[in-house]
Amino acid sequence: MMKSNTSFPGRLTPIGLRGVLCALALLLFLVLDLSAGVLVAPTVVILSDKERTGRITIQNPTAKPREVDIYFSFGLPESDSLGDVRISLQDSNVTDTRSALDWIKAFPRKVLLAPNGSQVVRLVANPPDSLQPGEYWARIVIRSQDGAAALPLAGENNQITTNLNMIMQTAIMLKYRTGELTAKLELADASALQRDSLIEVMLDMANRGNVSYVGILTCRLLDAGKKEISHKKIDLAVYRDMKRRINLPFLPGDFKPPYQVEVLITTEGRHDIADKDMIFGNIINRTLAVP
Amino acid sequence: MSRFLGTLPKLTSLAAAILVLLVGPSMVMAQDVANGTATATVLTALSVTATAPLAFGNVLQGVPKSVAKTDAAAGIFTINGATNAGIAMYMQLPDYVELADGSDRMVIAFGVTDSNVDTTGGGDPTAFVAADGYADQDPHNLPSGANLSDAGAANIFLGGRVVPTVDQTAGAYSGEIILTVAYNGS
Repeated sequence: MMKSNTSFPGRLTPIGLRGVLCALALLLFLVLDLSAGVLVAPTVVILSDKERTGRITIQNPTAKPREVDIYFSFGLPESDSLGDVRISLQDSNVTDTRSALDWIKAFPRKVLLAPNGSQVVRLVANPPDSLQPGEYWARIVIRSQDGAAALPLAGENNQITTNLNMIMQTAIMLKYRTGELTAKLELADASALQRDSLIEVMLDMANRGNVSYVGILTCRLLDAGKKEISHKKIDLAVYRDMKRRINLPFLPGDFKPPYQVEVLITTEGRHDIADKDMIFGNIINRTLAVP
Repeated sequence: MSRFLGTLPKLTSLAAAILVLLVGPSMVMAQDVANGTATATVLTALSVTATAPLAFGNVLQGVPKSVAKTDAAAGIFTINGATNAGIAMYMQLPDYVELADGSDRMVIAFGVTDSNVDTTGGGDPTAFVAADGYADQDPHNLPSGANLSDAGAANIFLGGRVVPTVDQTAGAYSGEIILTVAYNGS
């Protein structure tokens, strides 16, 4: 008769399994504690003339208290001549007519989050009466640092020491909408060029609506027989004009020239934004020959 | 057998605890965010973590000290978010660090190649190779067009240099390094 604690090669006993589970739990705790910063959700906040208040939730998944400050800034995704996107945040002297910076408020603006604690932050819009229909923007910046940051200690034996506080900020977009809203994008120019083992697709887009065009850009590299060589799919947000560069790898395979790139831009398929918050717009389909 | 059965409830509890630990935070976020947006699938929250400070250790008067971005003492920021999401990053760096009472300052400098950006989420500055992302980057002007890894992670490794004067006052000098991160597709 086989004993219950008989061990088999490659099979864990209950005691062994418990050890593994304990180790796993400890590891998981450490990973959560070390790898998690302050979490902020949702990643986009939509307010409107019908719903002037909103909220974000800030969560501290670590075992240490966190000091959190909430403030507003202005910054849109902008592209450079190479088609890369950056966001420059501006805290004051914002002259953009689409800025909501001056009339959005957050409550509370300073929080000490307990370990594993969370806090709801309310957002309120008080726009001026003269707003034109369309979308107005601001960035909610959540600044966090260790809430129990020790004061720097004087060096022993008259030594010089340094203590650099590493401060973390996440900036999420706030959009305020009013009146009739239109999402419309124009593909002003598009090209595809082969560079070594890459096909470089360059797209010049212009926003012709009165809201940000938020959607998905998909590029597919195809051979003469429409066989897919590679593809890339990115989340797209065009606030004004934007140039995007997409690099499609030319993967090895039995492909026949000439090659072409299919470009699809659509507001469908975004899963990070609720359908009720989406402004659906035009779809762009373009096929580019690769010279 | 009975001993094994007696162990089962403990194992089940432990497994349940692990499950709660694993799933808990994301459940909380989903519940909070689902308010009023029942059809929304929540994009993974974007988080930035200061995984390790830029550590110069003790410094001697008149002797500049550098920490390389590939050194174990390099500063590490870890960014977590949605798989392959495009992100914008901006770092604010001090020109000097100072004593708590403001009575003395010490120059701190960051060169135009003092950071590596690891878009594989590797996390170890000493193991970084150019193929892991963006090598030798200016920390004042981090690369645009970066994407998070397949696991939704990226790291910034930061080096720097402090330049104490020959009559630098002894004591603990402090300053701030601020990293701001945003999704660029929303």
